Amino acid sequence: MTTTDLEQLELLARVDEIVGRLTQWTQADTAWEPMRHAQALIRRVLTRAEGLRIRLESPLVVATFGGTGTGKSTLVNALVGRECTKTGRQRPTTRRPVLIAHPQTDVEALGLPIDDFDVTRADSTILRDIVIVDCPDPDTSESETPGSNLQKLHRLLPYCDVLIYTSTQQKYRSARVADELGQAATGCRLLFVQTHADLDEDIRDDWRRHLADHYEVPDLFFVDSVRAIREQFAEQRPSGDFGRLQDLLTTRLAASHRIQIRRANLVDLIQEALAHCRTSMASKWPAVEQLEAALEDERRKMTHQMAEQLSAELLQSRGLWERRLVEAVTQMWGFSPFSLMLRLYNGLGSLITGLGFLRARNSAQMALVGAMQGARWLKSRQRQKDAETQLARISTFGFDDALLRESQFVISGYVNSAQLDVEVAGRSTLDDLRDEAIAVEERFLGDASGRIEQIIKSLAAKNSRWFVRWIFEALFLSYVAFVLYRVGKNFFYDTFFRELISSDGAAAVALLSVDFYISAALFFVLWTGVLVMIFVGRLKMGLQTRIRQLAGELAESRMSRGLFPQLDATCAQIAAGRLKLDALAEATHELRNRIATSNGLGARLAPAGEAPTILPRR
Amino acid sequence: MSTPFRQCAETIQRLSRAVEKLGTLVGVLRVEPLEGREWYDVLRQKLSPQLTDDAFLVVAVVGGTNIGKSVVFNHIAGTRASSISPLASGTKHPVCLVPAGFCDDHDLAAIFEGFRLDEWTRSDEAMQDDDEHRLFWKTSDETPDNLLVLDTPDIDSDALVNWYRADIIRRTADVLIAVLTQQKYNDAAVKQFFRKAAAEDKAVIVVFNQCELPEDEAYWPLWLATFADETKIVPEIVYVVPNDRRAAEANQLPFYERQWRNGSESTTASADDLEQNAARDLSADLSRLRFADIKLRSLRGSLNRLLDDDTGVRAYLREIEQRSSEFLATAKRLSLDSVVPVNNWPTIPNKLLVAEIRQWWRDTQTGWAHNVHAFYDTLGKGMLWPFRFAGRKLRGEQQPPLERYRELEWPTCLKVIEDVFQNLTWMSESGSGLMRPHLERILAGTSRRELLHELKRRHDAIELEEELHDVVLERMRAFQTNSPELYRFMRQLNNVSAAVRPVTSVVLFTMGWGPAGDVVAQYVAHAAAHAVVPIVADFAGGTAAAVAGESALSSVAGQSAGFLQAKFQELQTTFTARRAAWLADQCKELLLGTLPAEMQSAADIPRSDAFRDVAAIVDALEEQLAHSTKESLV
Repeated sequence: MTTTDLEQLELLARVDEIVGRLTQWTQADTAWEPMRHAQALIRRVLTRAEGLRIRLESPLVVATFGGTGTGKSTLVNALVGRECTKTGRQRPTTRRPVLIAHPQTDVEALGLPIDDFDVTRADSTILRDIVIVDCPDPDTSESETPGSNLQKLHRLLPYCDVLIYTSTQQKYRSARVADELGQAATGCRLLFVQTHADLDEDIRDDWRRHLADHYEVPDLFFVDSVRAIREQFAEQRPSGDFGRLQDLLTTRLAASHRIQIRRANLVDLIQEALAHCRTSMASKWPAVEQLEAALEDERRKMTHQMAEQLSAELLQSRGLWERRLVEAVTQMWGFSPFSLMLRLYNGLGSLITGLGFLRARNSAQMALVGAMQGARWLKSRQRQKDAETQLARISTFGFDDALLRESQFVISGYVNSAQLDVEVAGRSTLDDLRDEAIAVEERFLGDASGRIEQIIKSLAAKNSRWFVRWIFEALFLSYVAFVLYRVGKNFFYDTFFRELISSDGAAAVALLSVDFYISAALFFVLWTGVLVMIFVGRLKMGLQTRIRQLAGELAESRMSRGLFPQLDATCAQIAAGRLKLDALAEATHELRNRIATSNGLGARLAPAGEAPTILPRR
Repeated sequence: MSTPFRQCAETIQRLSRAVEKLGTLVGVLRVEPLEGREWYDVLRQKLSPQLTDDAFLVVAVVGGTNIGKSVVFNHIAGTRASSISPLASGTKHPVCLVPAGFCDDHDLAAIFEGFRLDEWTRSDEAMQDDDEHRLFWKTSDETPDNLLVLDTPDIDSDALVNWYRADIIRRTADVLIAVLTQQKYNDAAVKQFFRKAAAEDKAVIVVFNQCELPEDEAYWPLWLATFADETKIVPEIVYVVPNDRRAAEANQLPFYERQWRNGSESTTASADDLEQNAARDLSADLSRLRFADIKLRSLRGSLNRLLDDDTGVRAYLREIEQRSSEFLATAKRLSLDSVVPVNNWPTIPNKLLVAEIRQWWRDTQTGWAHNVHAFYDTLGKGMLWPFRFAGRKLRGEQQPPLERYRELEWPTCLKVIEDVFQNLTWMSESGSGLMRPHLERILAGTSRRELLHELKRRHDAIELEEELHDVVLERMRAFQTNSPELYRFMRQLNNVSAAVRPVTSVVLFTMGWGPAGDVVAQYVAHAAAHAVVPIVADFAGGTAAAVAGESALSSVAGQSAGFLQAKFQELQTTFTARRAAWLADQCKELLLGTLPAEMQSAADIPRSDAFRDVAAIVDALEEQLAHSTKESLV
């Protein structure tokens, strides 16, 4: 196998690959109407591509295309070298397409709707590798009515591989023919021929200028078919442009070029379909973008509201903060006299405020109490909620039903405009929304309690440094030491020892009475109280700023999941679908450039590509 | 010369004005504009200028691109007035030959309305690209003195603006010189053009250009037969012109006249007939045209086109009628669909109602009773203050009840909006296309958000207290005037109660009822609040009515115990209906804007003066035309 062969095979494999990927793309489920339309269109194109692939190696179908009276039939006869199709001066002359094939060509294998044709056999060298179809004109029918020339033409165009576009000085700017060619040219190689060289002037330059906007025009032929027939009857080789045209048809459309040409046609077809789909999808895309933005907006609104509420509640829950902070400090501190006092204080505080706080009446308290407690609390909330579905639930963050319904109301408008199929994208009921809201809250609170935990830890750590610790321990112990000293002095010295060592008979000092212990205990409580107060005050220093900061951070944090996760997913899926199509278009474009078969054959210019989809911010 | 249509001229001018006026009105109906409607263009471009000024014929050379229109034109002009080019779509603007002195009697600008007129200087001016529609005119001595001869742009090339210009000239023209070739005589674009010309009954001269003679002598009758069959054109004269490029350039092409009658075989004499091969002078032949007949024909043809039942002005009127009936149906449906039952509108706390009534009662009291009650009320307030204070401290700062009521109202508003949108969605999916663009805009997410935002803002801004005050005032005044006896009885009761007030107060207070006094009245009324009164809000109309209220009331009011209850319920209903009406008003304004009024005015157009005017003038015109036809037959 030669390298060229390998290259050819590789190109074919690439085409197969693109077709495969396209097939896959058309099978993806989508809720987006424009994408469904695109899928349907591409499926149709793929069906046609399949037909092309089946007859990849059968003789090329070369058809004439041009306004009535431009000499299509005469040209065909001249090319074949004999009278195969009726010519005339009455318009339209050809009303039924004529298929001219070599006697040995298997016409059935071409896959043509053979009943639509008059089949003529001619033993001509030019027909060795191709079949020629003489088509009806596109410009005498005013509309595509059944049986009209236009309808016949439209039926057979999909089977043509190469179009010989004939025109004349009178007709080369005919609007009707230009429109029809614009539709017919996709998926075909083109040859441009100006006929009537015997009568008309050469207008090829002007023609080329007009064609250049839409077509690749490597060559324009200016032929005199009548003379060519004469020459051939006289057993002469046709001269001039006609000779060139005949040569081109025999050499460039030979069997060895079939695959190349059909492959190029196939790629053209796919490229055109892709361009069309991408343009139509791109025009509908802004609505989806708006939906995405709206979803994002709703999320942001929720986050803001939750953060605001949370910060307000956090600022109110002073008691709980204290307790958590003190608890953290004592844990860090380990066992020591002052920490014992702090624990005692904390315990008392909890006792006084009762279990109320632990049952966490609001979300901030829940966040403070901690995630573990929180989960339990949320479950109980849920149960509570289920019980009272009738009543509008005033949720912790004020996501009452009205707010959820507002969101739903607004978003459904965007969903409509974006042409999303609600059945597929998922319709959310109020109950779904409630559940989502709870899930969102839960996630938000999980995040928040983590951060609160951090604040507590850092505040506690700041106040657990040895310096602070020893000051408070020392201050606390100084009182204890003082009392112990008083008690010890009284007990050992004043009432006992002094009497032993001194004999001056000073008045015996009495043992300290209950009065002393009462006042000592009182002052103990006071002193401890003051110390604890000061310490707790210290702990709470800068707390407000921290909370505000936290709220700010939370408000800015982006939630991964909003109230409408299904819609989020759908939008992402649509974007992915578009990107895939872009990638395919890119690949097709590249392939077309690689297999560009200039080869003397013209073609429709590659469709002006839609700018590649800009990756959505994710 | 005076055609029998002179009397129509004035009618046509009136019609012109009436139609313009109607045209400005029907914008709301979203019908296609007048410009581009064939009958209107005929009216403006042919009938308006030429019915009053008809002493000339407009002859236009028309046909597909690059088939020698300009060549034929130059032969008539006798000079190279129009540039010829081997490239297609050369002539982009019409060129007109004007007989000397023509402009003294006629207004060329009026005849060729829609074009910018320039005097001809060079033959290639008409080939320049220009977005403006221009027409170059040249005084000519060659052409007959009552003919305007024009070269026109093509009717089939990819430069569509050429088609537009050729169409204007076609309408203006009386005689069309149709240049045909064997390639183009059966082209769709060509056939379409000449079919229109046939409908306007233009005189047509057919020139078969670029014929291969003598071979094509056998073919041109067949071509012409096809052309005539397809377009319904009956040519006045037929010429056959040989394909001779050199002669064409030298302006010396021979024009051979041929006799032709459709369907008859005896169309051609033998080719060697001497008469046949005598070239004709086109210009001379034109001057031999039966001038008056042709003018008459083309004017009548244009009038017939204008009055054509399927495509003329009547069809336009029918379209307007039909469109506005659609609008009427849509308007009806809109007002039907925008009626939404409002259930569960929150009832205002009776406490507030009672307080408001008391306030009113207090304000209407006079004399000593007023003073006594005022004194005790102040006293009561002072004595109750510690209780209230304690209550506030215990329960924490409470939201004012009216604010709470406002909050309760919002979900209901939301529910109503949702219902309305459901109806509108349904309407936009199923209804006529008229409303769809508007509805789709309303239903889009952005406008939903804006709507909610604005409604919320307005809802928050509304003075509920004032509303309540107004309602109570209104109802109590009604009570005062409708049941004066009862009112008087209450007054007396009030006076009596004032007299015994010290006693009752002391008794109540010692019994511990002092602070509870407030509550008693509320309790009595509370039961009333629970009856649900469905409200129906009509958004297109912006009204709301309490539907079941009155009947429910009368059944209860019969019982003596129900009286107070009924009174409270009546107040509730009035207040609720008023709130629903507010919502309906807001929705109408925010959602539909001026749409319902617009639709109504659109639906009223067939009954407008402008419409009737046009219809009447058309009737008159038809009569005049029939009359003149009869006259001309006689």
